[in-house]
Amino acid sequence: MQDRIRNFSIIAHIDHGKSTLADRLLEMTGALSQREMREQFLDKMDLEREKGITIKLQPVRLKYQARDGQEYILNLIDTPGHVDFSYEVSRSLAACEGALLVVDASQGIEAQTLANVYMAMDLNLEIIGAVNKIDLPGAEPEVVMQEMENVLGLDQTEVLPISAKLGTGVVDLMESIVQRIPPPKGDEEAPLQALIFDSYFDSYKGAISYIRVVAGQVRKGEVIRMMSNEKEYEVTEIGVVSPYMTEVPVLKAGEVGYLVAGIKNVKDTRVGDTITGAGRPADQPLPGYQEVKPMVYCGIYPLENSDFERLRDALDKLKLNDASLFYEPETSDALGFGFRCGFLGLLHLEIVRERLEREYDLSLLATAPSVVYKFRLTDGSEMYISNPTRWPAPQKIDQIMEPYVKASIMVPHDYVGGIMELCQEKRGIFVTMEYLTPHRVLMTYKLPLAEILYDFFDALKSRTRGYASLDYEVTGFEVSDLVKVDIMLNGEVVDALSFIVHEEKSYYRARAIAERLRKIIPRQMYEVIIQAAIGSKIISRENIKAMRKDVLAKCYGGDITRKKKLLEKQKEGKKRMKQIGHIEVPKDAFLRVMNIEED
Amino acid sequence: MPPILGSTVPQCLYIHIPFCLKKCDYCDFYSISGSSPEMLERYSAALLSEIDRQAASFPAHHIRSIYFGGGTPSLLSVSQITAILERILLRFSVDSRAEISLEANPATIDQNKLAGMVKAGVNRLSLGVQSFDDGELRMLGRVHSSRQARETLRLIADLPLKNYNVDLIYGLPGQSINGWLNNLRQAVAFGPQHISMYLLQLEPDTPMGQAVEDNRLLLLGEDSEAEMYYAGIDYLSAQGYRQYEISNLSRPGAECRHNMFYWQAESYLGLGAGAVSFAQGRRWRNQPDMQAYLAAHQSKQDGLTEELERMDQPGLIADAVILGLRMTEGIDLAAFAGRFGLDLADRYDETIRRCQAEGLLEMKHGRLFLTRAGYFLSNQVMRRFLD
Repeated sequence: MQDRIRNFSIIAHIDHGKSTLADRLLEMTGALSQREMREQFLDKMDLEREKGITIKLQPVRLKYQARDGQEYILNLIDTPGHVDFSYEVSRSLAACEGALLVVDASQGIEAQTLANVYMAMDLNLEIIGAVNKIDLPGAEPEVVMQEMENVLGLDQTEVLPISAKLGTGVVDLMESIVQRIPPPKGDEEAPLQALIFDSYFDSYKGAISYIRVVAGQVRKGEVIRMMSNEKEYEVTEIGVVSPYMTEVPVLKAGEVGYLVAGIKNVKDTRVGDTITGAGRPADQPLPGYQEVKPMVYCGIYPLENSDFERLRDALDKLKLNDASLFYEPETSDALGFGFRCGFLGLLHLEIVRERLEREYDLSLLATAPSVVYKFRLTDGSEMYISNPTRWPAPQKIDQIMEPYVKASIMVPHDYVGGIMELCQEKRGIFVTMEYLTPHRVLMTYKLPLAEILYDFFDALKSRTRGYASLDYEVTGFEVSDLVKVDIMLNGEVVDALSFIVHEEKSYYRARAIAERLRKIIPRQMYEVIIQAAIGSKIISRENIKAMRKDVLAKCYGGDITRKKKLLEKQKEGKKRMKQIGHIEVPKDAFLRVMNIEED
Repeated sequence: MPPILGSTVPQCLYIHIPFCLKKCDYCDFYSISGSSPEMLERYSAALLSEIDRQAASFPAHHIRSIYFGGGTPSLLSVSQITAILERILLRFSVDSRAEISLEANPATIDQNKLAGMVKAGVNRLSLGVQSFDDGELRMLGRVHSSRQARETLRLIADLPLKNYNVDLIYGLPGQSINGWLNNLRQAVAFGPQHISMYLLQLEPDTPMGQAVEDNRLLLLGEDSEAEMYYAGIDYLSAQGYRQYEISNLSRPGAECRHNMFYWQAESYLGLGAGAVSFAQGRRWRNQPDMQAYLAAHQSKQDGLTEELERMDQPGLIADAVILGLRMTEGIDLAAFAGRFGLDLADRYDETIRRCQAEGLLEMKHGRLFLTRAGYFLSNQVMRRFLD
């Protein structure tokens, strides 16, 4: 049985054609009929399909009739294509024996891809290289194949040229999967060890775990145990996704499938955890399990205070499906009751916020994202804050620390100077620089995570015309010279606008933010004074002149209805405003104010 | 002749003449350019038929104002205007002192036509001058020159008319305060009884509106616009004009009655393609489709209409407030209570206080009215009465 199984992942940068390739595999193995086929079939969320980005595909089991006349089971286990989810990537890869590396024939390898391939190599996966989109005019498959050899040590003669869109080369690719990726090994008679590589919440069945059985077997009715927390459950259903959920009687070592066991919450079936049998438990869990910690925080507030409970319900529901989402209630003088939420990264934050607004019909206000800062106090104790308003009293602070990352940037060599300049501006410390090919350079910098959150991606994009790619991993806390800047509107501190910044940059940033607020906040009935202050020292000041005009110059019989509708529409527009004191502030101001580059 | 407050029977007739030599670049009214004399003749005939039908549909009415608007009503011939007015007098009961207004474009009239229109019964003319600067006229896409406007004004000034109006636009891209005041001075020199001064406000579906959206034209900005507005009012006031509405000034007693009826939320009937009517709590519009209009009335049928609004009491009250506040004399609270059974001062106590504190609204001698500062910020006030 195991001889006929191939478990593999797809590693690809966003836009390099992962979803399209998955569509072709579904189609060409006959898993879906033409009638059932729709684009990006395996994308899980509407949001993904709409944005055309795939964070992670559903796992799927395909039957493939190979050229040797045998039928093989190909299990596709996807890896999320974004830096926010690198832990999940590692667990997906750990569930496979091989990985398909898909690289765009005109873009070449990106930093994120590189990091994931290295991860796959560390796990001893067989890597099959494929150059995609060879049908496009700008395609340079030979150059990219050469790069794959130079950078990753793949034999370029073994890299397959494909067009996922047209189906070109996809059969050869499936043959390579069968021939080159080793079948799974694992003792079917040993105690059960199943790796959870993904899980999601289903309102009928509860938490559904996607598993790779590494050793032993699992059946319906068995009692299983989560090795991280020792919780036990009875298995109510097991099955495979092909691509619809289909029950099977047993999943044995080497197989991939799903498991339902009356688990109420995905936090009890965490990615990376090992499932074993309660009756005959394994001695050891599978290696590599971690509890994932949020890296980025922001305040999320309902625009209408009365929506607080609805927001809590919505977060509770999202949490069922997202073990890495963190939240706790907090209050703000300016914004009222809300939640401090923690995320894996900016994309994760953006997804959660959009889902809250879209799926739960909430009008929300998000504060600027912040990292976690660590304080050593004069009494020797330590504290962490993720909300600038929790900044301790100055006389109590001994040392302030902020998280740093090791950032890998891949870039055509023409842009090396620009990257160096950018990293310097962002308080980066140069580590290494390596020529991957005569034209592509891998640069490594140590950078404060906060700088990456601020506007690093945009700056990187604009300075390299989109040719650079970035990957990073958090390395730890380092002592830093930080200050808290408060923003005042007509003399009142707006706590939700306070931010933490490196001392050297505080003036520049304060001025930029005050200027930006001047542009974002519409004219009011009275003049508005914007001030930025460190402690009691004002470091920047702007003013918004009082409104002079809000009139319909002409209003006669023929257009009274239209004019009245206009007034009503303007009144609706007020709902997108947050009243702070007497001042109406657009609800997106709190987030937009940090995007200085937006101008 | 005080208006009958709260009357639900139509008191005005609006006749829409949706033809222009060429549509102006800032205009978004329904009108057709370059139509033949035959077309105008067919349209006039259709109007006569609609007059018959409307008069029959609203047997209860008391017409105190007739207004030819457009488009360019002065494109009609004297005989067409005469025929329309005669038919109205035949079918409707029209007050002998009724105001009969007609909008005219300087490029479309000469001495004979003017004399003929007056003879037909027109007793108020409104001349769309917009500017006395040829550069500005070109920017607006007007078909006439400043010289033509001056000539027409000279002719009008000689007519035995008690009242005529000059329309001017301010806030044009590139216009200065002095340029604007100069336009006003030139208008005043002819001695019109009435001046309408409109801020250029563009809809996106007009050529100028598009140019602004594409950054090909730059509007002046609210500070300059507000300065021009108040400078214009101050200048005209010093010249003996009295402001009676946000954008309208006149010699005392020469207010445009027709528009006053609108602002007093009175009922009116609109005739012609694209014309709007308001009666019995409904506002509706004749379909803005020339061919359909002609076809319907040629075969003596009702034209297609589109209902814009059907209002309940709160809706009517909202209308009356936002319209009433446009007039400098504002709203007579006792009359309002009599008409709608609502004590505004009580119902909107908090709103009124807030607007007063901001210096936008005043309540005195039983009237609620905008302050001088409130005119150019009137939306701020009106919106708050929409609840």
